[in-house]
Amino acid sequence: MRRALAGQSEAVGLIVRTLLALVGAALVGSIFLAIDGVDLGFAYQEIFEQSFGSSFAVKNSLIEAVPITLVALGVAVAFRAGIFNLGGEGQIYMGALFAVLVVLGLSGLPGPVLIVLGLIGGAIGGGLWGGVAGALRSRLGLSEIITTIMLNFIAFWIVSYLVRGPIQDPDGAGYPYTKEIPAKADLPTLFGTIPLGAVLLVVAAVVVWILLERTKTGISIKSLGAGEAAGRFSGLNVERTGFAVLLIAGVLGGLAGAASLLGNEGRLSDFFSPGWGFVGVMTALIGRGTAIGTLVAGLLIGFLNNGITGAQSAAGIPTSTAQILVGVFVLFLIIVNTDIVATALRRAASSLKGGSRG
Amino acid sequence: MGDFLDILGSTALYATAVRLALPILFAALGEVFAERAGLVNVGLEGMMLAGAFAGVIGAHYTGSPWLGAICGMVAAIGIAAIQAGVSINLSGDQIVVGIALNLTVLGVTSFLARAIWEGGDVPKVDGFSAFSMPVLSGIPALGPIIFKQSILIYVALIAAFVSWWVLTRTSWGLRLRSCGEDPRASDSLGISVFAYRWKAMIICGALAGLGGVFLSLGQLFTFSDNMSGGRGYIALAVVIIARWSPLRALWAAFLFGACEALALRTQVTDINVPAELMLALPYVVTLIVYAGVVGRSRPPKSLGRGYSRG
Repeated sequence: MRRALAGQSEAVGLIVRTLLALVGAALVGSIFLAIDGVDLGFAYQEIFEQSFGSSFAVKNSLIEAVPITLVALGVAVAFRAGIFNLGGEGQIYMGALFAVLVVLGLSGLPGPVLIVLGLIGGAIGGGLWGGVAGALRSRLGLSEIITTIMLNFIAFWIVSYLVRGPIQDPDGAGYPYTKEIPAKADLPTLFGTIPLGAVLLVVAAVVVWILLERTKTGISIKSLGAGEAAGRFSGLNVERTGFAVLLIAGVLGGLAGAASLLGNEGRLSDFFSPGWGFVGVMTALIGRGTAIGTLVAGLLIGFLNNGITGAQSAAGIPTSTAQILVGVFVLFLIIVNTDIVATALRRAASSLKGGSRG
Repeated sequence: MGDFLDILGSTALYATAVRLALPILFAALGEVFAERAGLVNVGLEGMMLAGAFAGVIGAHYTGSPWLGAICGMVAAIGIAAIQAGVSINLSGDQIVVGIALNLTVLGVTSFLARAIWEGGDVPKVDGFSAFSMPVLSGIPALGPIIFKQSILIYVALIAAFVSWWVLTRTSWGLRLRSCGEDPRASDSLGISVFAYRWKAMIICGALAGLGGVFLSLGQLFTFSDNMSGGRGYIALAVVIIARWSPLRALWAAFLFGACEALALRTQVTDINVPAELMLALPYVVTLIVYAGVVGRSRPPKSLGRGYSRG
C-alpha cells in the first residue's frame, strides 16, 4: 500500500515537473515572439489550426511526426544503454538512399512489394551506418559521440555526390535530386487522414517496447545502461550489446529515411533531412528513453512543427521558433529532473500542503 | 596526377588550411580546459554559433570588429554559464545539456537574425581581414602561410602556448587538472572543484566564442544560419586526437583544415575527382586518425562525471 502510494506520488511528481518545463518553454518562446512583434493570441490559434484544425492538417502533422519519431526510437534504445546515437542524420540519408535505389531499380514490381522492399532497403542502409559506428565503438573503442557525427557528414556528402552524378534525374534540369519514385510505391493514406507511415510508427514503438521490456536483449541493453563495469562483472557482453544497440538504432534511423521518402518526399535530394536526426535526440530525451514516451513526444513535436510551419506566413512566426521551443523544453526538463531541483520542488510542494512530509 | 602534386606543393593550400583550422583550434583549446577539469562540453557547437552571431551583431552596431569579438565571447560565455550551472551545480547530464543547448542556440540565432534583418539577410560587416606582416611575410613558404593571415592567427597561436603553459606549468593548472582526475581528492585538499570547473567552462566559452567570431568576422564577414556547421563537434574530435594537449591541438586542427583545404582546392582545378567526395575527406581522415590514436590516449579519469560533495 505504502509502495503503491510512493509510486503514485512519483508519477504525479514526474507529470508536474514535465508540465513546469513545458510552461517554462512556452514562456520563453512567447517572449521571443512578443519581442518580434507577433500577436500571440492569433499566433497560438493559428498554430493550433494548422496542426489539428482539419483532417488535412492532422495528416500533415502525422507525416511530419513519422521520420522524427522513428529516428527518435533509435536514439531512445541507445539511451537506455547509455549510448548517444547522434548519427540520426546519416542513418536517415543512408536509409533514404538505399530505399530510393531499391524502388527505382525494381520499379517493375507491384506497388505493395515495392513499398516493403523499399522499407527493408532503408532499414539495411541505416543499419549499415549505425553498424559502422557500433563496430568502431566495440572493436576499436571509438566514442560514438564523435563517430556518429563524422558518419553524418560522410553520408551527407555521399548522397550529395550521387544525386548530382550517377543517380541524378536526367530530366531534372540539373537539380540535385533523383527521379521521382513511381506513384504505386507511395505510402497510402488511410481514411483520408492517417498516413501509413503513422501506422508504421506505432508498430515500431510497440516493437521497441517489446524489445526493451520483454526480451533478453532488452535486459542486456538496460544493464549496459546501468554501468559498463557492473555489466561486465555480471557477465554481460559489453561489446556485442554496444554494437547491437547502434545497429538497431541505425535500422530505425534508416526506416525514418525510407518512410519519409516513400511517404512524403518522393525523391532523394541533397538536403533531404532538415535536421530530423538532432530533433530525434530531443524527442527521445523528452520521452525519457521509453518507447511509449518517445512515441508521444514524437507526435507532439510533429504537430508542433507542422503547426508552426503552417502558421509561418499568416502569423509571422519564423520556423526557428520550433527549435527554440523544443531546445528550451529539453533544457528545462533536464533542470527540473536533476536530484537537487526535484527535491527542492518536492519540499516546496509539501510545505504548501501545510508542512506534511513530502 | 601532376595537377594534384601541384596543389600539394602550393603555399596557397596551406594558407587556406591554416585559415580553416583556426576556428576549430580556438574551440578545441577551450574544450581542453573543460575536459581537463572533468567536463565534456558538447555545447561547443552552440557556443561557436553564438559567438559567430553576436560577433556580427557587435561589429555591425559598433563598427569595430574588436568590440564584435568581445560581444561574441560574452555571448558564448553566457551559453557556457548555462552549461556550467546545469552540469556542475545541478549535476545534470553534461552531454545531454550540451545537445539541448546546441539546438536552442541554433533556433535563437536564426530567429534573431530574422527579427533584426528582414528575411534573415544579415549585412556584411567590417571584420578581421588578412594582412601581410612586415618582414615576416617575406619568409619563403612560411611567410604566406602564417604571416599573411588575419590578426586572429596570432591570438590563436598565443592562446595555444598560454593554454599549454597554464595547464602544465602552473599550480593553478595542476589544481584544475586534479579536478578532472580525482575531484574527491582535490576537494579533501581544499580545492574548490565547483570553482575550478566553473572557471574552466568560462574559459572554454570565451575561446569557443572566439572560434565562432573567426568564422563570421574572419572568414565570411557576415552571419548565416547554422554557420558553425558541425565544427564544434569536429573540435571535440580534435581534442581526443590531440590527447588533451593544447600544443598537439595545433597539429590536429591543422590536419583537419588541410583536408578541407585540399577538398576545396581540387574543386577549382580540372582534376577528375567528384568535389562532393573530396568534401567528405576531412571526416574520413578524422575517423582514421582517431582510430589510430585512441589506444594511446587516456582521457582525464573523471571526465563526464558530475561531482557532489558528501
